Amino acid sequence: MRLGVRHTPDLPPDEDRPDAPRPNERETGPHHGRDRGGERRSPRTGLYGRMVARDFARNRSVTVVLVVLMMLSVLLATASTGTLVRLIGASSSLMERADAPHVVQMHAGDYDEQQLERWVEQRSDVAHHQTMLTVGIDGADLSFDGEDQTTSIQQNSLVVPNAERDLLLDLTNEPITQVAPGTIVLPVIYAVQDGLEVGQSVRIDAADGFSKEFSIAGFARDSIMNPAVASSKRLAVSPDDLAEVREHTGEVEYLMEFWLRDPDTQLAGFQKDYLDADMPRVGQMVDSATFRTLTMIGDGMVAAVVILVALLLLVVGALCLRFSFLTAAEQDYREIGVLKAIGVAARDIRRMYLTKYALLAGVASVLGLVGGLALTPLLTRNITQYMGSTSSVWSWLLPILAALAVFGALVLFVVVLLRRFDRISAVTALSAGATGDQSGATRLRLRRSRMPVHLRLGVMDVVGRWPTYLLLFFVFAVSTFIMIVPVNSATTASAPDFIHYMGIGPVDLRVDLDHADDTSSDQFGEAVDQLVADPDVTALATMITTRNATVDSEGNASSLYIENGDHTRLPLIYADGRAPSSGSEIALSLLALNESGRDVGDTLPVEVDGQVRDLAIVGSYQDITRGGKTAKASLPTEGEEVMWYVVGIDLVPDANAAEVSQVYAEQLAPGTIADIDHWREQTLGPTARLLTVAAVVAALVAVSLAVLMTALFTRMLVARDTGQIAIQRAIGADDAGLRRQYLTRMLLVLVLGVIVGTVAANTLGETLFNLMFEVMFGGFEALMQGTSRIDFAVAPTLAYVLLPAVFLVAVTAATVASSRAISAADISSLTTE
Amino acid sequence: MTTATAVLDAHGLTKTFDGHVVLKGLDLQVGDGEFISVMGPSGSGKSTLLYNISGMDTMTAGEVRFEGRDLGALSQKELARLRLTTMGFIFQHVHLLKNLSLLDNVVLPAYLAGLAPRTELDSRAMALMARTGVDELADRDVSEASGGQLQRIGICRALINHPKILLGDEPTGALDSVAAAEIMDILGELNAEGTTIMLVTHDTRVAARTDRVLYMIDGRIVGDRNQGPYTGAGLDQRHAELTEWLMELAG
Ligand SMILES: Nc1ncnc2c1ncn2[C@@H]1O[C@H](COP(=O)(O)OP(=O)(O)OP(=O)(O)O)[C@@H](O)[C@H]1O
Ligand SMILES: [Mg+2]
Repeated sequence: MRLGVRHTPDLPPDEDRPDAPRPNERETGPHHGRDRGGERRSPRTGLYGRMVARDFARNRSVTVVLVVLMMLSVLLATASTGTLVRLIGASSSLMERADAPHVVQMHAGDYDEQQLERWVEQRSDVAHHQTMLTVGIDGADLSFDGEDQTTSIQQNSLVVPNAERDLLLDLTNEPITQVAPGTIVLPVIYAVQDGLEVGQSVRIDAADGFSKEFSIAGFARDSIMNPAVASSKRLAVSPDDLAEVREHTGEVEYLMEFWLRDPDTQLAGFQKDYLDADMPRVGQMVDSATFRTLTMIGDGMVAAVVILVALLLLVVGALCLRFSFLTAAEQDYREIGVLKAIGVAARDIRRMYLTKYALLAGVASVLGLVGGLALTPLLTRNITQYMGSTSSVWSWLLPILAALAVFGALVLFVVVLLRRFDRISAVTALSAGATGDQSGATRLRLRRSRMPVHLRLGVMDVVGRWPTYLLLFFVFAVSTFIMIVPVNSATTASAPDFIHYMGIGPVDLRVDLDHADDTSSDQFGEAVDQLVADPDVTALATMITTRNATVDSEGNASSLYIENGDHTRLPLIYADGRAPSSGSEIALSLLALNESGRDVGDTLPVEVDGQVRDLAIVGSYQDITRGGKTAKASLPTEGEEVMWYVVGIDLVPDANAAEVSQVYAEQLAPGTIADIDHWREQTLGPTARLLTVAAVVAALVAVSLAVLMTALFTRMLVARDTGQIAIQRAIGADDAGLRRQYLTRMLLVLVLGVIVGTVAANTLGETLFNLMFEVMFGGFEALMQGTSRIDFAVAPTLAYVLLPAVFLVAVTAATVASSRAISAADISSLTTE
Repeated sequence: MTTATAVLDAHGLTKTFDGHVVLKGLDLQVGDGEFISVMGPSGSGKSTLLYNISGMDTMTAGEVRFEGRDLGALSQKELARLRLTTMGFIFQHVHLLKNLSLLDNVVLPAYLAGLAPRTELDSRAMALMARTGVDELADRDVSEASGGQLQRIGICRALINHPKILLGDEPTGALDSVAAAEIMDILGELNAEGTTIMLVTHDTRVAARTDRVLYMIDGRIVGDRNQGPYTGAGLDQRHAELTEWLMELAG
């Protein structure tokens, strides 16, 4: 006889009988929902509503995190699109408003004006032509607000602003056509980077005792010499002041400016014809494409990184969506079974889920869009300062479209997930409530293990249910990746060794002198003689760069800057091959090699001394200076068109580089002599600084992401495992031990994720970094052509010890904080379930 | 059989769930070596009583002393340790860990307690499983055994640390009468070896095999019957007397 009345059959719950079939889960035949759908509508919507509402309540933290992730993804997509649109818009509008020339040929010294005019006149492709006089002031003669500019890498020239074309624009993008006597208008970079203000003084001191002080009247945006990476700067003064200064000091240089009728098609031809026609050309030739690239590099990179992070967040968001969906589907299992049993079509159930997630994605997208639009002005502050702001429909429309695209991707993902929905429920129906992710075959055993029990149980859980941990693993790997890649990029770009990629060996000092006229070569020769005799100098590599004719991959004539000298002294690191060691050999920069369509081992026809010589290409190297297209050889320079001179100098170990530079600075003006680190910093500084900012931001994003996901995941796990935790507590496991199990799981997954992320960062990330450089220096044509082969200079303690340690601490804290629910798992609550 | 030394001593034990009083100030003494069964209608608070005297659940009011130690004064960690080393618990629904093999489920408390070398613990677990007839199943999954087999695994787990007291919540509830009798034989042997045992049961045939029967209604012990040790003979007689007693109580 049995006493006590039981109202329900005493079935063991799922915990113990994972294989027990449940009565209500199968789709039942006779009643099909659609037959009587109309009648049931309102109670059914009520039921759906309740299910959705309870799901939110039950999985509050999951829902919140999901929304936050989707929101961040939309936010970054919106902000980065907005930034790009504004960047492109602002730079085009600046160039348009300023009416920037299509081609500028710099020319130092005098020239035959008539000859140039005649040549221009007979060219049908030239729409306009003008020549601008600039007076280059040596850094040693120039001081801003008392700050001497000797060490500045910028080449400052006084100009009288143009009135019609190639305008300087003030900060409201209005043309500056006149400057009052005694005042000066500086490029905006000096306001942004050096903090100069209107009213402060600019002073020019000439060697002959002449001295003139200007008061800063304002700042100007210069469409062609705006960014930090362009080293020439135009300072606007009145005509009288210019004439006065010119009498005492300064290097005269002319800017031959040309506007073409159809720059898209005529640019290349014009440039070549100009050079061939022997027009004035003592200096660099630059075109509008170059201005544009230089202008956009920095901010473009930031936007690219943000887009990348947005994409990664989208992937993480999608994975989280999947996890949350599966959890909810599992929890709603009984209800779905009931719905199916009463004859609701699977389609209706799918629609319910779709509505729920589309609603979440919609809320997230709206929030993200608003946030993204609010964030854009912050990201574009730099752009606004250098180029002014533009607002077109696109700057609103495209971000909105980006947000819509992300929203669409999320909804599409849910649709795909829902397609798997029927299968999932079928699987779960068979294994009754189990997640279906435990597999007996690969399971580890507790017995015979020597590990501490909780550690072992943690490991066993991860191994036994590894699919559950994939999301977390992915998040950790991605977080590591997005943390390490920018950090490695930043350390690489700021590492002294980066000099190898700048076309010069590891020297102590570097001399740069542009060839202006015959006196330049004398000036150079004297300086070299003196350097050779200098007891502080141990080695010297003197290079004379000439412009020689060659052919490109399509057989078209093109020109190449060839650095001639003894390249076996103070050698740089070659990507392939070696330094040229005889007059019949040449080494090309990777970009030049790509352009030539040849490989190391081939020959390259180069015109030397009026004759074409086939030079053997014996090596290739990375060079990101002077547009990246350079060559190294030991050709005769006599009679060739000399462009500039470079000297690499090694000093005795205890020599003071600054003092040595001081000695030669005056003598080399307007050329520069600089400590190589200083030169690298100046050349690469803005990029390296941007990368550092990106690295800090990325590290913060990565750690927050890891912490967020760990917290979320731990909560979900603990909630899912309540029964198992309750049992362990009942048989005498203490909370600290249980927490150790969860910590073990998280840290195991973390370690795996960090390892994979770090490896990926050093392989994939390095590739990514190089792609970025390829685009930056070679344009999109150079992408994927192997024109950048920079190896990451990893700071091991930072990348392999410090950052993982930060992760470890953050994840541990997040796990401990989120596993508090362990203490609430009681056996009595389990029984009444 | 009541001995002078009480293993367990509860006074005014009260448990409330959301204002609903489930245990209403119970008093209970369990002597060393006793074999007690607890009966009562569903919902009368039997399981709750077991959870509270073992410190698995925290009581709302009252005092429980286990071997003289006040459970209320122990920390969560000390309570866990106490349960691990001196109490064995057999659950109504077995409650095995589904991600562990059957043998791992048995050795887990032993590994947690860490009182002996693991090889010794492994062989102790195998010996227990052999004794309860489930040693063949050692490496199987929880999903690969029958209800009765799982219940035996649950018993092995409860015994692995040589507990002072064995608490069982309907350990035979899911078993047929033959299997139930086998389990009761094992428990009888254990009791004879000195283990104190307290079982919740609905089965009067099970209760008839114990020394002492408690009857609960609505959170109170309303009957406490000492029927002397079962020696293996006269079960039908004991059963008939117990049934009569219960009829009187139920009224
Ligand atoms: N965690 C809990 N939360 C709320 N109420 C609970 C909880 N656990 C038990 N109860 C309630 O306490 C009362 C006693 O439950 P208990 O499980 O102790 O009964 P029982 O005597 O073991 O019944 P049965 O014979 O059915 O196992 C019941 O009314 C039950 O609903
Ligand atoms: Mg019960």
